[in-house]
Amino acid sequence: MFLFMKQHEFVPQVPYGTRDFLPKEASQKRAVEGALAQLFANWGYDEVVTPTIEYLETMTVGVGNDLDQHMFKFFDKNNRILALRPDMTTPMARVAATRFKGSPSPMKLFYITNVFRYEQAQAGRQCEFYQAGVEIMGASEPAADAEVIALAVESMLKSGLQKFQIGLGQVDFINGIMEQSELSLVQRQQIKHAMVTRDLVGLGEILVKSGLSQSDQTLLKHIPLLHGREDMLKQAYSMVTNDKSRRALDNLANIYHLLENYGVSQYVDFDLGIIRDFEYYTGMVFEGYTAGLGFPICGGGRYDTMLHSFGMNCGATGFALGIERVLLALERQGIDGTQNCKGVYIGWNKENLVKAIKQADTLRDSGCSVELAVIPESSAQAKESQKRKGYAKLVYIE
Amino acid sequence: MTSSDMDYLTIALPKGKLFAPSAEMLAKVGCTAEDLSENSRKLVITNEKEKLHFIITKTADLPTYIEYGAADIGIIGKDVLLEEEKDLYELLDLRFGLCRMMVAVPEALKREKLSDYAHMRVATKYPRIAESFFHSMGIQMEFIKLNGSIELAPMVGLAEIIVDLVETGRTLKANNLLEVATIQPVTARFIANRVSFKLKFDRINRITEELRALLEGVVTP
Repeated sequence: MFLFMKQHEFVPQVPYGTRDFLPKEASQKRAVEGALAQLFANWGYDEVVTPTIEYLETMTVGVGNDLDQHMFKFFDKNNRILALRPDMTTPMARVAATRFKGSPSPMKLFYITNVFRYEQAQAGRQCEFYQAGVEIMGASEPAADAEVIALAVESMLKSGLQKFQIGLGQVDFINGIMEQSELSLVQRQQIKHAMVTRDLVGLGEILVKSGLSQSDQTLLKHIPLLHGREDMLKQAYSMVTNDKSRRALDNLANIYHLLENYGVSQYVDFDLGIIRDFEYYTGMVFEGYTAGLGFPICGGGRYDTMLHSFGMNCGATGFALGIERVLLALERQGIDGTQNCKGVYIGWNKENLVKAIKQADTLRDSGCSVELAVIPESSAQAKESQKRKGYAKLVYIE
Repeated sequence: MTSSDMDYLTIALPKGKLFAPSAEMLAKVGCTAEDLSENSRKLVITNEKEKLHFIITKTADLPTYIEYGAADIGIIGKDVLLEEEKDLYELLDLRFGLCRMMVAVPEALKREKLSDYAHMRVATKYPRIAESFFHSMGIQMEFIKLNGSIELAPMVGLAEIIVDLVETGRTLKANNLLEVATIQPVTARFIANRVSFKLKFDRINRITEELRALLEGVVTP
């Protein structure tokens, strides 16, 4: 540390968990976001922009307390607690329940924006990060869930990713099993916690002490491993006797059938072990994975009770895709998302600026990207600038 | 080499005590490589035939490799998992490397109840485990993080209490320390990255099941 300080240089830092996007990354980010905005619009979704800051009490409606400790919080002038939005689903639900009250439903909305969470920062996982996502509000049918999943697949394809997999689950499958059993509330929470934290050893230990029948224990222990195609669904069907779990499996089969018609079912696996980290999911849930990224690239599901908490009684489903995660995956998989759009550099020597402006105008009108020099250069200097800045062509006006 | 190569499985093994039994156990289910040794100068040891990569890491770093997806699966002590709190799959209790996380004090300082030690200084390599243990008992303490030779701290007045991992308790005795509470037993665990567990499910699940079968054939100590 002391050695570094000797350099007498003041290097201002950015806050923990934030980052700069330098031109190359910024242009890749812009390209991906542009493609996604176009895609969502093509599917009939309308964009919504909400404030970066919201009241804390609004952001914690319908969400478990878990998220609370991951929020950036501060006070306004009247000492009300504000929070930087930790995700976009809650603000979108707020908008739908207040601004769109009484509008024809279902509503299809999208956003592409930054959200904020205190997390241990790592590559692809900063405290400020960008998300693109959609929400369908006011629809409880499998058709809405299937559309959201199909759109998630299209989003990844449009971003340039080729190899990825979607894991599709249903939280009611587990809920049904737990409700049917004679577990206490505490035991249910322990079991859920072990599943959410992926602690299968701990899960086994809780089950041994739970007093459940051997077959129920085996079933619960197997949930995180229920993973596969349609035959797994049939197998799971034979493992449960309660209505709720069976309805959950029927629901998945319906969604899957629609995904086949969307032509995206090859990207989808069933995985009944998926319980997303948030407590607000009430139906189907899914996560997207791609090679080279140690965490999901996208995720979503059905959250029917959240709108209810905002006083609007209707179902909702949606997904969000991490923009930085897409960029990181593209880089790790060696896919260059950028179009080499650097076109022409125009250099000029004294008194020829007017001519150069005209030339730049003409070229830009024809769709070329053009950088015009701001100071006169010799032909050799202009050549040097073109090379340094990475332009494909040089026009020198003398 | 990263785990982005879908054909290969990258296995992380910890340096130190757990290395030999871990490597031995994996070898029994067909996961091994020529010249797989703790002292290898190679950082990545590859078995081309079985499509396996091995990396050997410092124990405290191992969960980080797994969480980031730099390795798909690994073996590590539960103590490290509790202390590091990483987001990963804990698939199997491998039952070896049995130790216990415990609280000890010098004999001269022995009190009647655990709460009588409130506000004393605790020296430990595991501040997170120690804090959550005392917190769960409703006792507030002061924690001092050390990286080794924890028993030394009470002898020289750096702390009154220690929280440490012990196997037999012989070191405690030699230093006149008395175990006053057991936090929990600790064994080696088989762990996996959360995405690898999905994308390479068949392969990882097969290894898990083979290890499980191996364990169930063994008489538990």
